[in-house]
Amino acid sequence: MSETESFEPKIVAYVCNWCTYLGADLAGTNRLEYPANVRIVRLPCTGRIDFNLIIKAFEMGGDAVLISGCHPGDCHYTAGNYHARRRWMLFRQLLEAVGIETERVQFTWISAAEGKKWQKVVDELTEKTRTLGPYVGYREVCEANG
Amino acid sequence: MIETLRDTCRQLLRDGKVDVIIGYGQDPVGQAFSPSDVAQAFSPSDVARASSPCSSTQARCPGSDADGPVFPVFIQRPEDVDQLVWNNRCYANLSVYLKRPEIRALGRPAVVVKGCDQRALVVLEKESQLDRSQVHVIGMACDSMNRPKCETCDVHEPRGTDVVIGKAASNTNAISADQRYSAINAFLARSSSERLAYWRQELARCVKCYACRQVCPMCYCPRCIVDKNRPQVISTSATLKGNFAWHITRAFHLAARCVGCEECTRVCPMGIDLRLLNLSLAQAAEENFAFRAGDDPQAEPVVGSYALQDKESFIQ
Amino acid sequence: MSEIFSFATLRRLVDQWITEGRHVAGPRLVNDRLLYGWLESAGQLTLDGEARPRNSIKEFLFPRHEKLYGYKLGRKRVELTEVAPLVDEQIVIAARPCDAALGPILDHVFNWDYADATYNRRRELTTLVTLACQSYDAQCFCTSVGSGPDDPRGSDVMLYALDEGILEIRCLTEKGRRLFAGQTEPSDLEAQVGAGPEIRFDLDKVGEFLEGGFEDAQWPEMARRCLGCGACAYTCPTCHCFDIVDEGAGGQGVRARNWDACQFGMFTLHAAGHNPRSQQAQRQRQRIYHKFRVYPQKFGTLLCTGCGNCTRNCPVGLGVRPVLSAISRSSTK
Repeated sequence: MSETESFEPKIVAYVCNWCTYLGADLAGTNRLEYPANVRIVRLPCTGRIDFNLIIKAFEMGGDAVLISGCHPGDCHYTAGNYHARRRWMLFRQLLEAVGIETERVQFTWISAAEGKKWQKVVDELTEKTRTLGPYVGYREVCEANG
Repeated sequence: MIETLRDTCRQLLRDGKVDVIIGYGQDPVGQAFSPSDVAQAFSPSDVARASSPCSSTQARCPGSDADGPVFPVFIQRPEDVDQLVWNNRCYANLSVYLKRPEIRALGRPAVVVKGCDQRALVVLEKESQLDRSQVHVIGMACDSMNRPKCETCDVHEPRGTDVVIGKAASNTNAISADQRYSAINAFLARSSSERLAYWRQELARCVKCYACRQVCPMCYCPRCIVDKNRPQVISTSATLKGNFAWHITRAFHLAARCVGCEECTRVCPMGIDLRLLNLSLAQAAEENFAFRAGDDPQAEPVVGSYALQDKESFIQ
Repeated sequence: MSEIFSFATLRRLVDQWITEGRHVAGPRLVNDRLLYGWLESAGQLTLDGEARPRNSIKEFLFPRHEKLYGYKLGRKRVELTEVAPLVDEQIVIAARPCDAALGPILDHVFNWDYADATYNRRRELTTLVTLACQSYDAQCFCTSVGSGPDDPRGSDVMLYALDEGILEIRCLTEKGRRLFAGQTEPSDLEAQVGAGPEIRFDLDKVGEFLEGGFEDAQWPEMARRCLGCGACAYTCPTCHCFDIVDEGAGGQGVRARNWDACQFGMFTLHAAGHNPRSQQAQRQRQRIYHKFRVYPQKFGTLLCTGCGNCTRNCPVGLGVRPVLSAISRSSTK
C-alpha cells in the first residue's frame, strides 16, 4: 500500500456548544455516517475559539482544522459569532503571510438542525485533505529545533 | 525647530502645566568621559593599549557621542530642556512610555511625537488606556527618519496634537493603498511554501528577547499571554515552534491596532523583518473594513466590535 | 619571526572543516546585518564591515534552548531518557576577543558547585579562532574593562589581519595548533595592534560607587528609559541566566534549559505573587551589580568583556557603557 493510500487525515474540529456540536450530535442520532477522521473539540462559542488553537492543532499533527458555529443571527450569546467572523477575516490574511496553507483551515456555520450539513462538510473536508496530503509544512517547522 | 521645542517645553514646565517632558536626548558633546582622568593602573600589561581617542587611529569609529544614539529623556526642570534634541535619528515612538509605571509616577506628562507616533495615541485613547486630557502632546513636523515606513508616510505633520512644531517640506499627497502595502504585496506574490520557508529562516534567529513587545505602544498588557503559564499556551523556548507561535500571536494581538510605527522591526537585534506580519494585517483591516488604526479618532476599533453586514467569502 | 597564511587558505580550511562534518560558526551577513551564525560554506564568512556582530558566540557554548532530558509519566513512576551525548566538534571562526573571553569567564559559574557536563562538553568540543580587532565603533569599550583588541583570554588561536589578504596567526593552545598544523608559513611580517577604543569610564571609580551605591538615587534616574526587554542580556557574551522549563503534552516531554534575562518582570516573580525586583530600576541595578561587583567578588573576574552589544542592541541606547560613564562622571564631580 502506498503512502497516499494509507494516509488518513487528522482533522481537528473546534465547534460551538450550541449549534454545531448539536448538529454533529443530530448527525449521530440520525445514524448519518461520516468519516472518523474528525476530532471534535467543543467550546462554548466560536467567539471563544482562540487563533492559537488553530496553530496548536497544526503543531500537534493536524492535517486540517474545521471551525464551526451558529449561523449569523443565531449566536447563543447574541454576537460571539460576529466577533469571530471579523477575527477570521483578519487572521486568514496573517496565515497567508506566514505561509500556512489556508485551504486547510475551513470555516462553516452549522446549526443544531443541520446534521446533514455536518455530514457533508466533514465528508468534503476529509476528501479534500486526503487529496492535499499530510500537512508536513508547519509540523516540520515545529519539530525542527533552532 | 529645536529652539521652538525647547521654548515650548520650558514654558510648559515653568507654568506647571506638565510635570515631565518625554522627549529625545543625546549624550552632550564634551561631557563624555575624558580619558585623561583615567589611571592606567587597571590595565593588564600583556595587551598594548593607550587612551588615545579612536579618531586618531585608523579605525572606523563614529566615535564622538554626538553621533551616539538618540534616546528618550524625561525632563522635569525648565533648566534641563536644553537636553532635548531633534534630528533625523529620533526614531523611537515615545508614546510607549505613557503606560510605564515609572513614568506615570513622575506626574502629568507632555510627550513629543511624530505624525506616525501620534496614531498610537489615538488607539490608546480609544482602548481606554489614555486620558487624552491628561497628556500634553507636542507634535513635531517630520520629513523623514530614513526608515522604510517613511517612504509611505502621509502624516508628516502630526494631527490631534496640542501643538505642532515646525513645517514639513515633504509632500503630503495621499499615499495609495498599493504604495502602502507594496512590501507585503511583493511578499504575498511568493508561493505559500516559499513564505513559510522565509519565516522558518528568519524566525530561527529569534532569541525571544521580547524587544518587539516592549517597545510596542500597543503591548500594554500587565502580563503578556506568553508569560502566562497556567496553561502555557505559547512555548517560551526560542525554538522554531515557540518562535512561530510567539510571532503569530504578537502580530495577531496587534491586528487592526498596529499603527505601523515599526519600532518592533527597528529594535530587533536579529534583524527580523516583523513589519511584514504587521502590514499583512493592516492590509486586511483596510481592505475589509476600510479601517486604518490611529487614523480616525471617531472610528470604532475593528476588533472588539462587529457589523451584521461584514462580508467574507470563505465561510461556508 | 611570525607565522602567516592567506585568507584564501582560511576559506579553503573552513570549507574543508564543513565537509568533514565539523560545525563551523562565524560572522555572516544576514539582511545587511553582521551576525554570528553557523556557516554553510566559507563564502558566507564576513571579516570586514561592522566593528563586531550584533549577537555573541555564547549561543555556540550555551545555546538559547537546550534539552536536558526527556520524561514520560508512568502509572507509578517517571521514566527519564538521556539526551544523546554531544560528539560533533565545532569551530568558531573570526570571533572577536570580547566574545572569546566568555569561555574563561563562564567556566566559573558552570563549575563552581556543580560541574555542568553539557556546558563543559561543548567547551571541550569547541575551538575558538579569534580575529584581533582593527576597528571599533562608538559602543566598544573593551579597554575600559581591562581588555583590548587582541586580548588572548579564551582564544585557541589569534588571527591578525595584515595587508593584501594575509593573516598573521598566533596559536595559543594545543587545540589551536592542531587545527592549523602545516597550513602556515614563517614570515617577518608582524601585525601592529591598535590601541583599542577610547577609555570610557574609570573602573576604580565604578567599583567605589558600587560599594556603597546600592540605594543611590541615581539608579531610578539612569534606568528610567529602560523598557524591560532582554536585548542586552541575550546579545551579551557573558550573561548566562537561564530558566528550566518542562515542555510536553500527554504525560511526556522534555525538560529544557532556556535563556532568561534579569530585565524581565517575570524573572524574579515568586509563585506567591511577590516580586523582590518589582521596579525596572532594581533590575537595571541588578545587571550592573552582578557584572561589576557580585561576580568579581565571587570569581575574581568581571562579568563584562566590553563588547558594547548591550548598548548597540538597546532600543533606547542604555546598557553597561552609558550607565558606567554616568556613574564615573558623577563620582568625578
